[in-house]
Amino acid sequence: MLLFTKLKDNLLKILPFLAVFLLLNSCQEKVTSEPVEVTSKDLQNAVDHVTGIMIHDIFSPPQASRIYVYPNIAAYEIVAQNDPGYKSLSGQIADFTPIPQTSDSLVNYPMAALIAHMDISRTLVFSEEKMKTFSDSLENIWSGKNKPVFDASKAYAMKVVDHMNQWIAKDNYAQTRTMSKFTVDIDDPSRWQPTPPAYMDGIEPHWNKIRPLVLDSAAQFKPEPPPPYSMDKNSDFYKELQEVYDVSEEITEKGDESEEIEIAQFWDCNPYVSVTRGHLMFATKKITPGAHWMGITEIACKDSESDFNKTVYAYAKSSIAMFDAFISCWDEKYRSNLIRPETLINQHIDESWKPILQTPPFPEYSSGHSVVSGAASTVLTDIFGDNFSFMDDTELPFGLPVRGFDSFEAAAAEAAVSRLYGGIHYRAAIDKGLSQGQNVGRWVVENLDMKQ
Amino acid sequence: MRSISKYLLLVSLLAFLGSCKEEKYLFELPEGSQTGVTFENTITENDSLNILDYLYFYNGGGLAMGDVNNDGLPDLYFSGNQVKNKLYLNKGNLKFEDITTSGGVEGNSSWNTGAVMADVNGDGLLDIYLVAVAGINGFEGHNELFINNGDNTFTERSEEFGLDISAYGTTASFFDYDLDGDLDCYVLNHAVHTEESFGRVQLRYTRNEMTGDRLMRNDGNVFTDVSEEAGIYGGINAYGLGLAVSDFNKDGFPDIYVGNDFHEDDYFYLNNGDGTFTESLRKYFGHTSRFSMGNDVADINHDGLPDLISLDMAPEDEKVLKSSEGDDTYQTLEMRTQQYGYHYQYTRNMLFLNQGDNPYTELALLSGISATDWSWSALFGDYNQDGEEDLFISNGIPKRPNDLDFIRFVSSDEIKKSINETRLVDQKALEMMPSGSVSNYVFEGNESIGFSNKTGVWIPERPSVSGATAICDLDGDGDLDIVTNNINEPASIYVNSTNDQANYLKLRFAMDAKNSFGIGTKVEAWNDGMLRYKELNPFRGWQASSEPMIHFGLGNATSVDSLKVIWPNGTYQVLSEVKTNQTLTISPENVQPYRYQKPMIDSLFRKVEGNLGINYTHKEDRHSDFDYQKLIPYSVSDRGPALAVGDLNNDGKNDVFIGGGRNQKAGLFLQNEFGYVRTNHPKIDNDSVFEDIDAVIFKPHFTDKNQLTVVSGGNRISPSLRVLSNRTYNLTDPTREVIFESGDPNNSSVERFIIENNETYSFEGSYTKPLDFGEIPLSTYSTRSGRLVDDKIGMVTDATWDDFDGDGNKDLIVVGEWMPPTFFRNNNGQLIEENLLDSPLNGLWQSIIPFDIDKDGDMDYLLGNWGMNSKFEASQEAPMMMYYDDFDENGTTETIVATEKNGAYYPLMGLNELSAQMNFLRKKFTTYESFAGKNITEIFGEEALDKATKFEVHTLASGFLRNNGDSFTFVQFPEMLQTAPITAFEKFDFDGDGSESVLAGGNYFGVIPFHGRYDSFPGAIIDSDTEFQLANKLGLDLSLRSVRHLKVIHLNNQPYLLVINNNDDAVVYEIKR
Repeated sequence: MLLFTKLKDNLLKILPFLAVFLLLNSCQEKVTSEPVEVTSKDLQNAVDHVTGIMIHDIFSPPQASRIYVYPNIAAYEIVAQNDPGYKSLSGQIADFTPIPQTSDSLVNYPMAALIAHMDISRTLVFSEEKMKTFSDSLENIWSGKNKPVFDASKAYAMKVVDHMNQWIAKDNYAQTRTMSKFTVDIDDPSRWQPTPPAYMDGIEPHWNKIRPLVLDSAAQFKPEPPPPYSMDKNSDFYKELQEVYDVSEEITEKGDESEEIEIAQFWDCNPYVSVTRGHLMFATKKITPGAHWMGITEIACKDSESDFNKTVYAYAKSSIAMFDAFISCWDEKYRSNLIRPETLINQHIDESWKPILQTPPFPEYSSGHSVVSGAASTVLTDIFGDNFSFMDDTELPFGLPVRGFDSFEAAAAEAAVSRLYGGIHYRAAIDKGLSQGQNVGRWVVENLDMKQ
Repeated sequence: MRSISKYLLLVSLLAFLGSCKEEKYLFELPEGSQTGVTFENTITENDSLNILDYLYFYNGGGLAMGDVNNDGLPDLYFSGNQVKNKLYLNKGNLKFEDITTSGGVEGNSSWNTGAVMADVNGDGLLDIYLVAVAGINGFEGHNELFINNGDNTFTERSEEFGLDISAYGTTASFFDYDLDGDLDCYVLNHAVHTEESFGRVQLRYTRNEMTGDRLMRNDGNVFTDVSEEAGIYGGINAYGLGLAVSDFNKDGFPDIYVGNDFHEDDYFYLNNGDGTFTESLRKYFGHTSRFSMGNDVADINHDGLPDLISLDMAPEDEKVLKSSEGDDTYQTLEMRTQQYGYHYQYTRNMLFLNQGDNPYTELALLSGISATDWSWSALFGDYNQDGEEDLFISNGIPKRPNDLDFIRFVSSDEIKKSINETRLVDQKALEMMPSGSVSNYVFEGNESIGFSNKTGVWIPERPSVSGATAICDLDGDGDLDIVTNNINEPASIYVNSTNDQANYLKLRFAMDAKNSFGIGTKVEAWNDGMLRYKELNPFRGWQASSEPMIHFGLGNATSVDSLKVIWPNGTYQVLSEVKTNQTLTISPENVQPYRYQKPMIDSLFRKVEGNLGINYTHKEDRHSDFDYQKLIPYSVSDRGPALAVGDLNNDGKNDVFIGGGRNQKAGLFLQNEFGYVRTNHPKIDNDSVFEDIDAVIFKPHFTDKNQLTVVSGGNRISPSLRVLSNRTYNLTDPTREVIFESGDPNNSSVERFIIENNETYSFEGSYTKPLDFGEIPLSTYSTRSGRLVDDKIGMVTDATWDDFDGDGNKDLIVVGEWMPPTFFRNNNGQLIEENLLDSPLNGLWQSIIPFDIDKDGDMDYLLGNWGMNSKFEASQEAPMMMYYDDFDENGTTETIVATEKNGAYYPLMGLNELSAQMNFLRKKFTTYESFAGKNITEIFGEEALDKATKFEVHTLASGFLRNNGDSFTFVQFPEMLQTAPITAFEKFDFDGDGSESVLAGGNYFGVIPFHGRYDSFPGAIIDSDTEFQLANKLGLDLSLRSVRHLKVIHLNNQPYLLVINNNDDAVVYEIKR
């Protein structure tokens, strides 16, 4: 219940302040001028809150990566204005120009960074109210403590937000909303088609048209094609299909307590698992792969006792890598348009077989979790170092246990193979996906000059 | 005159007001405390038993009616799920006595569903058959048979009779399927396995003992399971909820219709008469309800053929409609039908009009009974005794599990991990589903197929959860009373107060056979030349049986001219001058053998084997417009193929050109003395990339050799736009095979191309711009002496050059969608647009043909429109609206169609569909509840709607323009010609009587599953403005296919009809006149 405990913590913390604030307000105008410290914890809370809203609103994994990245970039840019240790991303990421500067000495940069972060988050999610309630309470505290500083910081933040929003508006997201749906062609046996139980349309078939941040193009790290589709039992493709089935049968035999099933479920990260019982339908929702890695970033920041600025930096860089990773991955998904193991196993091997995880609604190759994990782990290794061991409690709120890892790379490798255990990917999508993601991550590390 | 009728109205209004001081309904509902009927099917959920564990947790109990103690008054037996079953003796005066315990009919199973009464052992006393669900959820027990001992006690003897079935039962029906004189039994069971994946249709062929239906043959008070040998499916995927038995095909043997929930098809078992059945759904039904629930049978249109209603769960109320999960997406339906092999199913009630040996006509939307919310039981009956079948529908569900907010938001927050860890959803989560308690519906039927909603007039509009329903004459006053078994509320008794305001006739049968009540007996009641036809089948109305009698309402008739009683054994007798307002018990007397005859078909048309050589199957490509323009009201790229008839090789014989679909070779058929021979033409074959929409064979003014021009359509953006160009071929001059290929100057999908009189008159009608539905393309028209005019006439579908003003030269009339029939008067070669209509007449016009329909000497024009059997609704007062704009300002336009409901306009599509195209709506409406019930202005804002281009439709009816000399008045065709779009006309003297008639054909499938499938129009011959005849009565059935062209062709002076269909075979009929 980490997320929610945190929220509760936060509220409990806020309440006395709120009361004081109200009290103060009810008196005559009385200017208070306590110093306000905005901490990395505040930022983490805000990101966790956005994650919660995304779960509610049901954003798909690529969409979620977009909702993470822009607020983080805004916060980072403000931090970089004031901390010579960090360099602006202007000129380094696509079409991004320097943000406005301020000469107002009252501006509290971390506060401005967080205000901008929360405001951009608000515009990117659907349930704005949920974000506004959160930011209003925080801002009321700040304003109560030190109104001049708050006002100056907010004014500056909003200038940056304006700048950011103009840039964000040109990322082709709005245009892709109206583009065509994925066309199912059941005459082509290799082509992806919707899967049970919801038979949802393929999501985001045009995500490769979203403007990448660091990549030259969506296809820059195009992985080699998957093994050619074949139902010949001796073909590489069929062997991989058979492997998915065999592994699934084997670990099902071992039971729910088996390590493989635990791994599959730990890394499920499916934001919308639909459940159907007769006419009764509902969904169990989880965080996305991107959110899981934001969680790991948060853990790394905490474990390394990173300050506000470094936390912002880590969030920004890892979310940029993941954003581009999703573009790279989705480009490949709707290039190869490969059919999911569930469809083929039901057709050719076992018509009643169901994967351990629910098959998500988009083509198989390459594995999204593998690509994103590859990219995120590469960036985090660059920031926090190799062999950074950590306990991953990101999935606690979803009833899943804590898992320990010796390095980000180890976590990524486990995330990747979890898709095979889950019965939703062939081996090639995992192996090639992981290196596709690592390529994206390395490219981000090599091309972004963020530290002085 | 006018003031008199006003006065009359006033008087009758006063009389009405005077007659009832307070609001009075046709049905009164006495309380259980008055009647003694206190049965209440109370459902108690707990953590181990709720809708998550048992999908049919809310299906309710059963209700059996009949006179168990032979005192003339029907008694009531209620079955419950978790409560004890109850038998109430009718003591008269609407007083009842509970004799359950003394009668020994409490039952012993954990969970009962259907309950029916039948004389199972043939001793003249009604027994009770009680159906159970056993074998899941810890439910124990089996179906029980309470044999009536004749002294108000019963003995459970199911095992002895072989009817102690322990399975997942829904209900049962008793009937004599093998006509051996005793009652056999069909036990309807339901599947419980999760329908998370569709599975193969072949699952139905493998019998599962728990879920498969059973046909039980009565072999002398022992029932034998003959399901397999009789051809009854028993698969694991059969969610059997509806069961109707009737002699549907009128051959003397009872047939069976089974309604299956979810993706499994309904079953239509035709009785072969030899102990076996042939499942024939696809042959007779173009589509069915999807979540099929209860069903019922009655002849509603006086043609002596039993019609069928099958219920579903489509809500009428906007708030419920827009917050509930609705139909499949286009893609899912395609997969389910094309890949998995299931039939077309749509989420709404279906009313099927029996057409004899031809496919049924489905017209629930036209009839006005398509959406009655979560519906369980349908019961036809003449409740007001005006001589017409009315309809009572029970409905409601304690919790709506398909509420979109629950599915997407609420459930997850609450359920979270409990589902994974314990597979239980806690009670709290389930309680967050909104209530589905709603008012039952009652409809008044008219002489034809129309029904009008009398809820709130005949019955109070009061929410309830009502399932099993049965009808009887509870108080012996002759009219039909209704009883419903309710969930979490006492049973309702609807006491009919029609009483002596209209006359009735009640018939009971006494047969000296095991089938003592004469189940399956048919009665034709003739009065003043009008037929009323009924068949005795009390096993109707959702897990229930009604009083085993036949009831006729007869208005003010004091007698019935004749009653023909046809007994199950194939004999009949006739009673004449039967007085009304009495209950007759009829036994076989002076019977004669009855000969079932096929209805006389005047076979004007006869299908020609081999099609005279014109064997061509048009193939529509798999392109779906809805993948690209998610909100267009219908598809626009499936209007082919082209057809042209004319002499292509200058041998004096007419040849046939059929255009191809995209990437399909066109068909070129040259006529010789024996028929037509398909001929390859390399240039034409090379152009298979074009989607041919129209073609014309004509003689240009500069030569005496015919040419072929083909025009193209489609809805794709192609880099060159070449696929939209027009091509002209010369087949006689090999050096100039392709005369020219003109890039379509208008860059649009052309729908109609006409060239007449050596190019004196030409018209090129454009339909749409690719991927920009709503943008009006340029059409062009010209006369030889006038100039070529480009004109944005509209979304043109058809046109005719015809001299409407009688001045000797041809004028032009153009029709299309979202536009009126548009007149262009030929003024010395110049075409001047004129409005000659006496009222606004925008339609979704599909076709036009000149025809003097009223035989008054001037030319009238027949117009094919969308028809009135669709979810589109339009009138002069409340036109259907389409808004066209780039609402989300991202550079791509969208269209929003809205129709009027109770004074406001609502979009047809829901939040999911609209926001898939306009993302901003997701921010504006973060819950479905906040969206549901909002009208179009509330959703988009006045400003956005004002700014948008607006299109209107004032009528969807097909009809004709009557020529008044200087203006035209629109007259609708009869309703049986409104069942689908009319897309093609052909004028010819079909019956050889010396005067021309018009043949109309239609149907169209290019719509999303929300709309269904317009497949029900069999075609019609129009002789005059009063003479219309459905083509299926003439040997020609055009239903279930999308007709694009009808054309009479001649071979050796014999006329034939050539029918060209979209995505289907071309078919040739001989015209036998």
